[in-house]
Amino acid sequence: MKIVVTVKQVPDTNAEKALDPATKRLNRSTIENVLNPFDEYAIEEALRIKEKLGAASTVTILTMAPESGRDVVRKALAMGADDAALISDSAIAGSDAMATAYILALALKHIGFDLVISGTQSTDAINCIVPAAVAERLGVPCLTYAKKVTAGDGKVEIQRETESGYLTAVAPLPAFVSVAKGINEPRYPSLKGIMGAKKKEIKALSLTDIGAESGRFGDAGSKTKVTSFSSVGARQKGTVVAVSDGRQGAQKIMEFLIDKKVI
Amino acid sequence: MKSVIVYVEQEDGKARRIGSEMATKGADLGKALGVPSSAVVLGKGAAQVADQLKKTPLDAVIVGADIPVDAFLLDPAVDALEMLVNERGPSLVLVPASNSGKDIAARLAVRTNAGVITEANDIAASDGAVAVKSPKFGGSVISTIGFVGAENQIVVCRPNSFAARDEAGKGETIELSAPGGKSYPVAITEKAAQEAGKLTVDEAGIVVSGGRGLGGPEHFDIIEALAGALGGAVGASRAAVDAGWISHQHQVGQTGKSVSPQLYIACGISGAIQHKVGMRSAGIIVAINKDPNAPIFEFCDFGVVGDIFQIVPELTKLVKERRGVA
Repeated sequence: MKIVVTVKQVPDTNAEKALDPATKRLNRSTIENVLNPFDEYAIEEALRIKEKLGAASTVTILTMAPESGRDVVRKALAMGADDAALISDSAIAGSDAMATAYILALALKHIGFDLVISGTQSTDAINCIVPAAVAERLGVPCLTYAKKVTAGDGKVEIQRETESGYLTAVAPLPAFVSVAKGINEPRYPSLKGIMGAKKKEIKALSLTDIGAESGRFGDAGSKTKVTSFSSVGARQKGTVVAVSDGRQGAQKIMEFLIDKKVI
Repeated sequence: MKSVIVYVEQEDGKARRIGSEMATKGADLGKALGVPSSAVVLGKGAAQVADQLKKTPLDAVIVGADIPVDAFLLDPAVDALEMLVNERGPSLVLVPASNSGKDIAARLAVRTNAGVITEANDIAASDGAVAVKSPKFGGSVISTIGFVGAENQIVVCRPNSFAARDEAGKGETIELSAPGGKSYPVAITEKAAQEAGKLTVDEAGIVVSGGRGLGGPEHFDIIEALAGALGGAVGASRAAVDAGWISHQHQVGQTGKSVSPQLYIACGISGAIQHKVGMRSAGIIVAINKDPNAPIFEFCDFGVVGDIFQIVPELTKLVKERRGVA
């Protein structure tokens, strides 16, 4: 089975983020980039499926990023993926989620796949719409928010998180699956894996390679535009009290809640 | 723009509150844009939900009771919406920020060549154009986003963002029937609803969250008891979720949900940036933590340095007494 995992580099999740006032885009220059934490679950799930199905299966990593994106791809390769492809072109900058999905879908078609696995979202944009948009563009079954995945025999079955619990859904391959946080425990790259990753291929794909039409990506291909933004003031420090017992603490909180008319 | 369409999700004849919130907002936007507004509700139980939605100022409710949304994953809903958008001409479509809502938004956008704006907590319309407000970077910035060259426009709406209003509109009902015998590739084979009827963490007006300080999954019962007494939802920090004490659906923070309830009570949560970005837009933040140096005390409105195992059960008692359900 040919499995492709889409990944994204994101600013470190522990950093405070800011918008660049001129471009109205995230200021990425001052923040260290990491592999999107949600994608680690996708890579792990792909590796587990490959390990279960045996040697004929492969795991390919796909990312759309500036050249610096090679670092996060190396991590995915160190975890055990076989090879990778990177679409890098300054013309892609400014693409909104739907334009991003356009590029990813073309790249996936170019690479070929039986199963695509992604995370549910990235920690920087949190749109959560790229997986379903890519699946729709590819015209393959879309099984998102999986907390359990079983793939093989030409089909894939997932348990999908819902607001009230979960449901089980099954579809024929090829298909697109997004996995929820916590579906597995992502492995740490071993030293051998890290050394081995240096020899694995990261293929550079151009917009021409994948057949992207101008006007469909970047600023020009995006149907949404940030027109303005305002900073929300930092929250002020309120009252903090120390208490001697539980009853007293509870009473202090009650007085506060009643005073604020929230109870 | 010729039409405003509000997609309302329902389960067993019950819609979450965001259905009425979006219906009210959709009706107001329809008036501002000078176009008709309608809600779409699909599946078994749709008729019951239509009755609720007629209390909002919408012009019409489109009911597709026999659309097979329980048998196939999302395809029937995407098909129904695509048909409606094509039939009505350029449309503004509002969908809820649920797992299914986001998928439907993305797929409908591909099919109808629409633009999509997500995480909306306010939408305004003037001179025929729509402006959407959306918090970014954990609520530290509010972006105003518009559509550019998009005939069809889809907005994914956060729960708890718009006020629902009881004000009956024209009350028209339009029946939508499913094309007979149509099958789809993704079959639903089982449904499990352990948390049916419970408020999700992002739709609740009050959220009580537990963190590392709880020490183990068995202690989440004190959080559940307080949330229950307040009529709120249970939240959790990443530490508690990663330890496997509670499911990810409850997680508040950068790798969980962003919430903006009127009241947020953080119990045994240190308040690291990862958590802060998910809850700092709450109306009032109350924190209980035994560590006087916990970062959460730097940005809460009221903090108590003390033992959650003593304070939280006492607080639950006081809330019940005040509400007369002791």
